[in-house]
Amino acid sequence: MERHGAQRHRVLALLKEAGGVSVASVQRIARETGVPEADVWGAGRFYELLSHPDVERRVCQGLTCQLFGAATLEGTKVSCLGQCDRAPVVLGRDLGVVHYGMPRGGVSPADPDLPMDLGGPDTADYAGLARARELGVAGVLDALAAAGLQGRGGAGFPAHLKWRSVSEQAVTERYVVCNADEGEPGTFKDREIMLRRPHRMLEGLAIAAETIGAAAIFIYIRGEFPEEKASLQRALAEADAHLGHLDWRFVDGHGAYICGEETALIESIEGRRGMPRLKPPYPTVQGLWGKPTLMNNVETLACIPDILVRGGERFAALGRTEPGTKLYCVSGHVGRPGVYELPLGVCLDEVVDAAGGYVGTPRAFSPGGASSGFLPMSARRVPLDFKGLPAHGSMLGSAGVVVLDDTVDMAQAALWQAVFFEDESCGQCAPCRLGTQLVRQSIGRYLGTGDPAHFAHLDEIAWEMDQGSICGLGMVAALPLQMARRHFPQDFGPRPPGATMTGGGPA
Amino acid sequence: MSDTFPLVIDGQTVQARQGETVLQAADRAGIQIPTFCNDPRLTPSGACRMCLVEVQGQRRLQPSCAWKAEPGQVVTTASERIEKHRAVLLSMYLADHSQDEAGQAADIATGNKLRAYTVDRDDLLPLAPVHSPRVGRADDNPYIAFDPDRCILCARCTRYCDEVEGVSAIQLVERGGHTTIGTAGMVGLLATSCELCGGCIATCPTGALFEKKADPAPDPDETIVRSTCNFCGVGCQVDLRVRDGRIAAVEAPPPGTTVNDGNLCVKGRFAYDFVHHDERLRSPLIRQADGSFRQATWPEALERVASGLKKIRDRDGGDALGFISSSRCTGEENYLMQKLARAAFGTNNCHQCAAT
Repeated sequence: MERHGAQRHRVLALLKEAGGVSVASVQRIARETGVPEADVWGAGRFYELLSHPDVERRVCQGLTCQLFGAATLEGTKVSCLGQCDRAPVVLGRDLGVVHYGMPRGGVSPADPDLPMDLGGPDTADYAGLARARELGVAGVLDALAAAGLQGRGGAGFPAHLKWRSVSEQAVTERYVVCNADEGEPGTFKDREIMLRRPHRMLEGLAIAAETIGAAAIFIYIRGEFPEEKASLQRALAEADAHLGHLDWRFVDGHGAYICGEETALIESIEGRRGMPRLKPPYPTVQGLWGKPTLMNNVETLACIPDILVRGGERFAALGRTEPGTKLYCVSGHVGRPGVYELPLGVCLDEVVDAAGGYVGTPRAFSPGGASSGFLPMSARRVPLDFKGLPAHGSMLGSAGVVVLDDTVDMAQAALWQAVFFEDESCGQCAPCRLGTQLVRQSIGRYLGTGDPAHFAHLDEIAWEMDQGSICGLGMVAALPLQMARRHFPQDFGPRPPGATMTGGGPA
Repeated sequence: MSDTFPLVIDGQTVQARQGETVLQAADRAGIQIPTFCNDPRLTPSGACRMCLVEVQGQRRLQPSCAWKAEPGQVVTTASERIEKHRAVLLSMYLADHSQDEAGQAADIATGNKLRAYTVDRDDLLPLAPVHSPRVGRADDNPYIAFDPDRCILCARCTRYCDEVEGVSAIQLVERGGHTTIGTAGMVGLLATSCELCGGCIATCPTGALFEKKADPAPDPDETIVRSTCNFCGVGCQVDLRVRDGRIAAVEAPPPGTTVNDGNLCVKGRFAYDFVHHDERLRSPLIRQADGSFRQATWPEALERVASGLKKIRDRDGGDALGFISSSRCTGEENYLMQKLARAAFGTNNCHQCAAT
């Protein structure tokens, strides 16, 4: 049990400062914070950057990096680093990129009509914040509703409902949290916003905080994004005249994909292992330290200023099948990987067209990160939006689009995704902890022996992972394998032991 | 306002009390829902997923241990969906668990709920062993052993250690398949804040935590004898597990049934060796002139003590005497001791060894 007045929320930051988890650092931090030693140890050992702090080379094992030869690079294997447009990527000891396959990817050309306009200048006039003050709380909520803005973190939940729910809570001590823990394999849009348009995001946060009456603003930023954090801090200092009256707190992530899940993120801010909570209650009712908490993704927040300045209706009209523009991250076998702002609901062909076209013969794609599984090219004209993709057994998620050409062995691709989910499962609930291991093991055994019998009970296991898991990670972790098996059965038949299949035939 | 309300569980109208969970309401109505991670003394964690039920209006299955009962709620605890869920989940647990020669979850004297839930099922999947990459931990403490391969990570032990004992010597460590129960630095319990109360053993549903010196093999002829712990005056109830007339282990009766609510301390749970010890005193001994002891009767021994005490009082006064009662005495016995000191010998020199 922690001491009365214990400062648990400092534990992870102190461990980082101390250079990671060691017996000595844990004893000292336990004494200093009043948190039991076992809790400090258990929390620290949860996070990759705290449990393995001194790594010379972290080699990204994300799908795109694997497509471009990550397996041939020397170093410690780590989960997707969010640099898919530069694949394959290696981070050095200070978490800076020390090796990449290509320079940083492209963005849409400057166009002032675009809400995000990643290619344009990063204006910092804070006109949206001024407009929000004119509109008042009800006006801001109405504008958000008119914009039809859906959460850009992956779930697509209507933003105005979240904001309204928090602002209607009886408890007046409230928090705003920015989820900048981008980590879905294939996704690097928030990274570009934080680097190119940090003021947009900060302005969105300021508007959120004033609208719901937040006591403090927390920015939980991925640990592997030191450059992005510096960019935000620089922007915060520049805009002090507009933002200085608010209480801003930066909280580092420490290498755990699951902390992108909102309740795991809250646990992490509180200094605990990033294990998702049971829902309900939702964070809007009981979030950070049990208080009503508004949590939005970087991109969601960055949409807000434009919605207030130019109106919700205008924003909504920019979409095709659903409201607004959307940042699509494109990587894999395309001409110019990058982040492209397009009407929400464009199809794969249009997204890839913006990204320089297909390279080679496309065979499969992942529309929204590892969690969205794989689709065949017969789905190339399906609108990539929140409501339509579930009908295809997939989802838009974070819109991390990865294109795979016909040289890719889909069983191998499924294995890469399975390894990711196994490594990033928090371990709290058995369907996910055991299911991710069973999925990865079955693909590994199949690839080793060529015997499809190793998939014998995968349908039931995948069903249970979906039905029984506490959070979304476990629910989707079997999707890449299951969708690859469904759409590319020729890659999952009997094959010679250890053989690689490409394009449905032997390599 | 009535403090109970009706809800429907499996078509049966059940009265729930305010604040009760679905699991509690079902349990009182005689509807059994299987669970690993629930312990009524602990905040529900909903982590083991065994107790998932269907709640009308909820798309997803919900953990009945954490889901609050509400008036008019309609809950289903038995359906094709729930049976499939249980069968697959149990198959997965079994694939990650120590098994006996018959492929069943390993049995242990303290009981293994995974075995109980799986042994009669014919709908389990024959999954290949998972071999989760858990790290082991050497521990030379005399009482508490941990076998990670019997652990299902329900975290009852870590939550008990925190929420009930307030000790937090153990915690979940690592992540994903590596997750296990550990200590700071993965040291033995003697090097931690652990008080060796053994409550972790008692709350463990699968026998992953067990008593080092007790025989782990189940014995069908074992009998349970309810008794009162005599190590102090609290009056904790104990269930003595007796084999061949000897105490094989000491357990607390189930939580919620006796004053100690399922808890015991290190002495009550583990210090039972004296009962059958060769050197245990079974009758009074009187020291003879040559320093050796001879057996005596109680009347003779008490007479000897009384006369000795009176002799000192008469020679040097009552304050030359001091009376110390054992921490094993009850409140009543302590009262009598001070009465003896004050009334019979006229001194206030009395003390109780637990009153530091």
